[in-house]
Amino acid sequence: MEIETSRFGVLSVDDERIMNFPKGLLGFPGQTKFALIKTGQNNYFFWLQSIDDPHLAFVVTDPSTFFKDYDVALRDETVADLELVNPAAMQVFVICNKVGDWLTGNLLGPIVVNTASRLAQQVVLTEKKWTTRQPLLRLQADVPLAKSA
Amino acid sequence: MLVLSRQRDETIMIGDDIEVTVVDIRGDKVRLGINAPKEISVHRKEVYDAIRRENKAAAQVKPEDLSGLGKIGSKNPENQPKQP
Repeated sequence: MEIETSRFGVLSVDDERIMNFPKGLLGFPGQTKFALIKTGQNNYFFWLQSIDDPHLAFVVTDPSTFFKDYDVALRDETVADLELVNPAAMQVFVICNKVGDWLTGNLLGPIVVNTASRLAQQVVLTEKKWTTRQPLLRLQADVPLAKSA
Repeated sequence: MLVLSRQRDETIMIGDDIEVTVVDIRGDKVRLGINAPKEISVHRKEVYDAIRRENKAAAQVKPEDLSGLGKIGSKNPENQPKQP
């Protein structure tokens, strides 16, 4: 399907890339359909683009790339909501933010996706180990790098 | 908002199966014990608020904000995925 976005213009997105968030996202309860789009920067970061609001998009990444010990324990209710029959179909993303010159990840409120049903939900972890602004990467200065470098 | 007074060890019922008990009161700190069916999630409100706030902040990120990413795995050691 074709979706309108403020950041990338009109995009053609495969239906398999569209995820349903029946409960919306915290702070955005009415937004229930998002497409997962490649950023073009690299393979680690994606855009989660709202289907219904062209202006709403988040950068997301797989937190296990950065934190090997990161683990999301799902409550039975969440497993049922996501119709997660096969645990191997579970994929976790975290929403990224730019804080100063760091790219941070919200590891306290990860997004859990059932890749089989494409149902998704933002969950709240009870563990105090992780924060909403876990540093992921230091962003380089905005000035373009010298071509000879 | 319904406001109830309770003493230590007294309980409030919410519906038929959620119990909130005042376990301890010390100064301006109250410790609550909560008994609820496991399908009811119980969290401190600050956690929800923090995630909601962070979602709103993260929605402001623009593609150009990622331009500083460069290539992960490039020669810049600062730009490697952070090891825990």
